[in-house]
Amino acid sequence: MLAALFVAMGVGFLMGVVVERSLIRPVRRRSENAVLIIGLGLFIALNGADGWIWGPADKVFPQLLPHATSDYLLVGGARLQYDTIGIFLGLVLVVGLLNVLFNWTSLGLQMRAVATNPESSSLSGVNVGRVLALSWGISAAVGSFAGVLLVPVLPPNQLDLGQFFPILIFASAAALFGGLDSIMGAVVGGLGIGIAESLLSGYVTILGGQLQLGVALIIIVVVLLWKPTGLFGTRRIERV
Amino acid sequence: MTIPSVNGEETEDGASVVVGQPTRATRIGMSALPYTIRRKSVAHVVLIVAGLAAGVGLILWGGSFGQFNQGQLTLVLSYAIAISGLNIATGYTGMISVGHSAFFGLGAYTTGILVVNYGWNALATIPIALLVCFAAGVIVGLPALKIRGLYLAVVTLAAGVTFPELVDRFAGLTGGSQGLLISLTQLKPPDWSGFTIGQEGEWLYWLSVVLLIIVMVIVHNIVQSRYGLAMMAVRDNELAASASGVNITVLKPITFGVSSAIAGVGGCLFAIYLGSLVADDSFTLLTAVTLLTGLVIGGQGTRFGPIIGGLVVVYVPYYTSSIGQGESSAVLFGVALILVIFLAPEGLMGGIARLASKALVVIPATPQPFSPAARSSSVDSTLASNAPPHDPSIGTAPD
Repeated sequence: MLAALFVAMGVGFLMGVVVERSLIRPVRRRSENAVLIIGLGLFIALNGADGWIWGPADKVFPQLLPHATSDYLLVGGARLQYDTIGIFLGLVLVVGLLNVLFNWTSLGLQMRAVATNPESSSLSGVNVGRVLALSWGISAAVGSFAGVLLVPVLPPNQLDLGQFFPILIFASAAALFGGLDSIMGAVVGGLGIGIAESLLSGYVTILGGQLQLGVALIIIVVVLLWKPTGLFGTRRIERV
Repeated sequence: MTIPSVNGEETEDGASVVVGQPTRATRIGMSALPYTIRRKSVAHVVLIVAGLAAGVGLILWGGSFGQFNQGQLTLVLSYAIAISGLNIATGYTGMISVGHSAFFGLGAYTTGILVVNYGWNALATIPIALLVCFAAGVIVGLPALKIRGLYLAVVTLAAGVTFPELVDRFAGLTGGSQGLLISLTQLKPPDWSGFTIGQEGEWLYWLSVVLLIIVMVIVHNIVQSRYGLAMMAVRDNELAASASGVNITVLKPITFGVSSAIAGVGGCLFAIYLGSLVADDSFTLLTAVTLLTGLVIGGQGTRFGPIIGGLVVVYVPYYTSSIGQGESSAVLFGVALILVIFLAPEGLMGGIARLASKALVVIPATPQPFSPAARSSSVDSTLASNAPPHDPSIGTAPD
């Protein structure tokens, strides 16, 4: 099972690199919207291809983490499911590794340089193409890791084609909420949107258990009005 | 695109001297292509008339279809109207929206609620839906003043997510997840139209055609106006536009409102066509993505792109539904999106226009000889014919 996880991450990494090389690089210079549309097209095509190859019916998905109702830890009266704890540990692990990558390695430094200014980093000897391909690979691998952890705990608890569009929406909203260029922002954004949704559906009865996601997103919009590049995103200064 | 040389105005005999042609021909080489014709010349008028005739022919041809295909065409037209609306915000002004399903749905539910709960005539609900969607669009467009680019997508996303939830929350009014059923007798054609209740499909087809034509004329006029120029300036460079005196504070919310209002009209037609509304099925984010897909494939910022987009989003899933357990249409859509970005970044319509411009170029009208009497009209016509050069549909498509 653990080996399968690593294979999945490896495949994800390769797909990320291939996508960057073949699809993203040619249009990257054109516009942000072109990349967005390519990503959307890729999502639709891959999701459809999954259904085409393996059939649209739900698949039973193996549990990486113990997921029975009795598997919990009682902390001050709150039940912490083992799989929740496991996912949290996974999050800590990923964030820790990414922090090490960005702050302590040469590759991380190069990535930050490319993000700040591709041209001058290229002049300083950074292989921009390689860094971009690697960063897409890493991001795809982290995505695969998250997918393997998430599928068993999301509503149908099985592999379902309809699961992934909401994940795309949630993840994008969370990343934008936190600020696109911040690890901290991603964590706070993700936790924030999840907790806000749960609290709203549990405690704000006037919403009738239906409006929580919309209200959570509206809260995000209000926060964005105050900080237009996300909570922890760096402000872009435009030169005229 | 050839801009008329100023020298043409100064020739002593004042006759029409084609300045652009010889230089262009030598630049291209020996080939006679592209032919250049002047705007408002005989050839140009003939082309426009031919284009109009072809359009009328296509519409009449659609009118002769059987009931099912006519229904599909009505659906195409309602999507085309919605995509035209999206085109205003995303194609011409550069505000990407992944929440236009909300306005499409708002229009549909306005019609549905007024007809079912208040016994309105379906036709009379369209202006109300227009106003409601305009107001909603302005409100959603307000954050666009501060939030830009991808972050703006979150704002529209919030609209797209909230709409079906609102419908479920106010189930008493909207029917909630049970859906809102409009009975057939409430949708019967009005007496003056000459259609009987059995010809409801035909009535709806012709209604959609008329509405689409009205929408296209409105969009054309907006884009040709100063306001349209300001929209495109904001799309191309917001800072420069604002520095040149474009009032972004007014322009962005109003544009978003207009865009939503048009999308809402598409929704009204959708409601009348379908007769039953379920927000969880018809107006989710997937619908918003469908609209965006149609726009990109058809051609952002082109006049006829939305029609092609409507055709694509209705007919591609229909014809591919038998292949690969119904999943093939998704694959095709995704691949088509990526191919379009690679091969014709301006979309199918933009691509066609680009190819056509290799065979035929329409250049602005011959400037009139400069005389004090004709001065004002001459200036006007020169200004009017200097169309914004970055609109790919201008110059070839007879508009």
